[in-house]
Amino acid sequence: MARVSKGKYNLQVAAIMAVYVALMLFEWPLVGKTDGLALRTLLALLPTVPVVAVIVLAARMVMRGDELEQRMHLIALSVAMGVVSVASIVGAFLAIAHVWKVDGGVLIWVFPALCLVYGVTRLVLVRRLTGAWDFWGC
Amino acid sequence: MKNRVRELREARGWSQGALAEQLEVSRQTVNAIENGKYDPSLPLAFKLARLFKQRIESMFEPDEGR
Repeated sequence: MARVSKGKYNLQVAAIMAVYVALMLFEWPLVGKTDGLALRTLLALLPTVPVVAVIVLAARMVMRGDELEQRMHLIALSVAMGVVSVASIVGAFLAIAHVWKVDGGVLIWVFPALCLVYGVTRLVLVRRLTGAWDFWGC
Repeated sequence: MKNRVRELREARGWSQGALAEQLEVSRQTVNAIENGKYDPSLPLAFKLARLFKQRIESMFEPDEGR
């Protein structure tokens, strides 16, 4: 399988995220003003389409990466999953105990938190293994 | 693991990018192997050996005390 061009990947992700931002700016405000359950559900779920598209692109990049790249993705994803899982369970117990008053909307931060921890871990791994501060370097 | 990848590559006048292209890996992976930060898998080690027309044991040797 041919390796994924980093430039092309970045461009595709940027384009999809631009769609996501546009949806959040122009489509999301309509959710609260829509009465029909079916239409409201559709509008509420629409922003997940670009998010899923980015996940598919990222998965394809990982699958086509070389062995060191795959190893670093795996370590970074494992760290991200561990950190976010612990944070989620701590938050859930605190919410159940009514120590932390929070609604279900907080779940929207799970994916960004995963991405953030994954990104930082990957940056550290690239630095340790290649000596560079190049996030996409490996 | 110590290796002679950098020495063999430089003897042929190849850049890290050129070697990476022939191995179908990233330039940073070649860099990590040359600096001893990453030990390649057996298939990649064989690929390197075939490319440089060397035996694996002449290219890689374990670090003392590891």
